[in-house]
Amino acid sequence: MKRMFLEELKINLKALLIWSIAVGIMGFSCILLFQSMEGEIQGMADAFSNMGAFSDAFGMSTLSIASIEGFFATEVGTVHGLGGAMFAAILAIGIISKEEEGHTGEFTFSFPVSRKKVVAAKGLCVLIMLTAFTVICTLLYLLGFKMLGEEPPMGDFMTFMLRQYLMNIEIGGICFGISALSGKNRTGLGIGLAMVFYFYDVIGRVVPDLKDYLFIGPFSYANASEIFSGKEAPAAAFIMAAVLVFAGVLSAFVCIDKRDLAS
Amino acid sequence: MPNAIEITHLTKNYGKNRGVEDVNLIVKEGDIFGFLGPNGAGKSTTIRSMLGFLRFETGEIKILGMDSVKDHEKILENVGYMPSEAWFYSSMRVADVIKYAADVRGLDCAEEARKLCERLKVDTHKKIKELSLGNRKKVSIVCAMQHKPKLFVFDEPTGGLDPLMQKHFFELINEYVAQGATCLLSTHVLSEVNKYCKNAAIMREGRLTMLESPRIDDETFLSFYEEE
Repeated sequence: MKRMFLEELKINLKALLIWSIAVGIMGFSCILLFQSMEGEIQGMADAFSNMGAFSDAFGMSTLSIASIEGFFATEVGTVHGLGGAMFAAILAIGIISKEEEGHTGEFTFSFPVSRKKVVAAKGLCVLIMLTAFTVICTLLYLLGFKMLGEEPPMGDFMTFMLRQYLMNIEIGGICFGISALSGKNRTGLGIGLAMVFYFYDVIGRVVPDLKDYLFIGPFSYANASEIFSGKEAPAAAFIMAAVLVFAGVLSAFVCIDKRDLAS
Repeated sequence: MPNAIEITHLTKNYGKNRGVEDVNLIVKEGDIFGFLGPNGAGKSTTIRSMLGFLRFETGEIKILGMDSVKDHEKILENVGYMPSEAWFYSSMRVADVIKYAADVRGLDCAEEARKLCERLKVDTHKKIKELSLGNRKKVSIVCAMQHKPKLFVFDEPTGGLDPLMQKHFFELINEYVAQGATCLLSTHVLSEVNKYCKNAAIMREGRLTMLESPRIDDETFLSFYEEE
């Protein structure tokens, strides 16, 4: 199992580097942009905070983008949220199904290793990849703050990165279950799922009737503007996340153990 | 001789589609057993049920005296399997695939792998994606043989191999069998069965018929391929 886990890490290393550096550099650049925009940004901040539902949806009614934390929350919050969600979805939705899709299943499953152990190795790989993604992005954002000469609000910043990590695990967990069920690579479905979760959260913050149901989506507890403005995330959102991760991972183990494997 | 493979009343269906029906098969240890049959007859279904890729409805399979469901991992420790489609992770190099296969088994097979690569003329420096079907099959043979298993299961192994490599492949099988291994050879090539197998069976439309001798003539052989 250890050897399979290490090989899986090796196979996915390139994707990890591409995604973490791409998302991290985008966030890093956004942070550096703050300096060049600082002079004119106050006018923009006033305009953006008075755009009604749009301002609510992107958190600009509670945070000013003229401040570094407000700018980080609205700009980097979106880039990291979407980028991380897409990476988690793409990685997890293909990690089991690629064996059958790429006809390598008979090679992988002909070793004296149980199906459960193969799934465990792949699940662990997803977790390590998501951890590494978060660490790389965190370091790049901190470097951005350092180069800017600004001290980030460390408590809120770390809470944001930790919640985003949890959100990525939730999306990864759901997609991991789909990967074991499907037997075919469903990258499109994974990206679609990440986008649906994102837009569900954006729309949920605009439409009053939906606000009570925001906790269903993983973006609800990882929303940057709420974290940086000190709002508490509903406990139901974390319970929902735990239930969905558990259901996704459990269904991966149960499914792969029960069904026929394609050649 | 004890039984290397013992299949009793195996039935496997794919939803409403037929897989195999009431298959009974015994392969003795030390045998080179020819497993013939047209495309879709159920040869691969039988093999894939034996190795735990498929979950079957009824019947019992014992491999090397062990239950194919309960002792799945233990069985695979002692089996060298070559699937009909020899696919590996395309970005890996041949040497890495061979070493990976040994590592996952927790064995150091470097010496045997080197010997096999030399005999089969495997270029270990190439990437899998650069290989032709024949060369991928050679890598698959090395992966199946390097740990010197007690039972070989080959699913259409010679397709894509040139005649010289086919000859080397059967020489290797004979050598391992002489050392105590058993071989189940699924194939469409009657001449291979005639020449190398000690016993044989033929599958047709999901049902298995044991042949009295693997030395059958073309006409008898082709009669199994004709529609009923």
